[in-house]
Amino acid sequence: MNINPQSYTVDLDWKKPYPSIDHDNEAFWDGLKEHKLLVWKCKQCGAVYWPKAYCQNHDNEPFAANCEWTEASGRGKIFAFNIHHWAFHPGFKEEVPYVYALIELDEGPLISSQLVGGDLPTDIHTVGQTVEIVYEDHPAQGFTLPKFRVVRE
Amino acid sequence: MGKHASSGKYAIVGLGVVAGPQPDRSERMIAAEAARLAIADAGLTRADIGGAIDLRRTGGGGDRASYSDAFTRVLGIKNNFYFTCGRGGALAGLGMAATMSYLDRGIADYVVLMGAVTDWSQSQETRKKGFRGMAHAEKRGYWGKPLGDSRAVSHHSWMAARHMAVYGTTSAQLGAISVAERQWACMNPEAKMYGRPITVEDHQNSPLVAEPYHLLDMSQVSDGGIAFILTTADRAKDCAKPPVYVLGQGFGEVSADLWWEKKNFTHMAVEPAKKQAFGQADITLDDVDCAQLYDCFTAEVLFQLEDYGWCKKGEGGAFVADGNMAPGGSIPVNTGGGLLSCYHLGDLTGLAESVRQLRGEAGERQIEDCDIVLTTGHGGELVSPGMCSIHTCTLLGRHA
Repeated sequence: MNINPQSYTVDLDWKKPYPSIDHDNEAFWDGLKEHKLLVWKCKQCGAVYWPKAYCQNHDNEPFAANCEWTEASGRGKIFAFNIHHWAFHPGFKEEVPYVYALIELDEGPLISSQLVGGDLPTDIHTVGQTVEIVYEDHPAQGFTLPKFRVVRE
Repeated sequence: MGKHASSGKYAIVGLGVVAGPQPDRSERMIAAEAARLAIADAGLTRADIGGAIDLRRTGGGGDRASYSDAFTRVLGIKNNFYFTCGRGGALAGLGMAATMSYLDRGIADYVVLMGAVTDWSQSQETRKKGFRGMAHAEKRGYWGKPLGDSRAVSHHSWMAARHMAVYGTTSAQLGAISVAERQWACMNPEAKMYGRPITVEDHQNSPLVAEPYHLLDMSQVSDGGIAFILTTADRAKDCAKPPVYVLGQGFGEVSADLWWEKKNFTHMAVEPAKKQAFGQADITLDDVDCAQLYDCFTAEVLFQLEDYGWCKKGEGGAFVADGNMAPGGSIPVNTGGGLLSCYHLGDLTGLAESVRQLRGEAGERQIEDCDIVLTTGHGGELVSPGMCSIHTCTLLGRHA
């Protein structure tokens, strides 16, 4: 699959595990539907977290008062990645081999997702490639998945 | 400094092992049988057991059993307490720490710690439905599931990948870990892979599962149960087998590291755990005769060899490739074959082997003059990118 646009729509029966959306991450998932990648930022010191957490740099209470969801650039670098050759779940059978990467967002936090599009890394020893978010919309299911693609610099 | 007051005050006096596929037995029946064997091994009866701890994985592999169907009821133990304890693969280390508190206060004279799994049997069932692996891994609850993070290997393999990227470690070096453990397993008739030696070439030729991991980088999927009896040192002397004394225990957590500091992808929470355990026992790494290091995948062994200081950080690949952890090496590691080649019952696998080595019951693989053994466990919540945040270090000795 060669993915060029910033987003694409997949409107088929969902055959994979569903995302776990709860009180803590509901805003994050809502953001994805609007094609925004939200991270959790401390209003006092600017430290950025994902997923939601207490700010590690100072006492902060009550919990939500010091931090807020804020839009991230959607860009980052590959921190480590693997290449799945086995589909453990039948929903991934048509996608193997696929790259599942740990991504260090420009804002700092690590997030993990599948890489899509061309230019996929193949040498495990090589990290640091720039990636950017691609929004995979599933309107029939009511959620958007954040995937990433390698950016040619 | 000297020894901590608790060092050598408690001992493992009973060991019961149910190994190999158990397709016709439920988890609780395996559990009860392992406990029965451990009680008999100690020369005790059911009436002696005052408490029981069910060592049970949490996170990815947990909460799938009916707790009310405790193995103690099946076995007919009239215990004062029963509870479940564990965190990923850190089961026995945590359970032992809790047990010592009960013994100390006289709430029980003898406590049975037991862990049982039916992962292999479950995997046979899930395979029929088109899944690979264990049924409980299908439950919802962690971040990457819809994105292709399907199994423990989906995120554990990053740790190997990161070490490879940072230090230039190679897959063939990881293969040396697999080969060394198989060499040990070939001296352990109880091991799943007994009689099936492998080479680094076999490792390299084994199917790629989640690259860099090949099939032979991954631990066994097992059925079975292991139980231990713990008591105080004074009671231990009257039991049937030589006591295995608890010299020290330490714990570390890197949950903050792994989410925010990004450091733990090439190390475990060894530093605090090592300091606590070795401090209590008042020994150094040179006093350790063999080590049973938690080895859910090959890279975890590499990390621990570096973190404990048998070699420098980043040099683990060369260290294992030189045969240092294999039979005849400078520090024998996972002498029963470990999770990679024996069977996977969390850190109970290593603890059982530690007991055998210290009792002199390890047959062909027995380490000469084995006085002190280090056993580790680790586990996490399988919420990628975070995993394996806890590390447990248990030092056991032949002498108090």
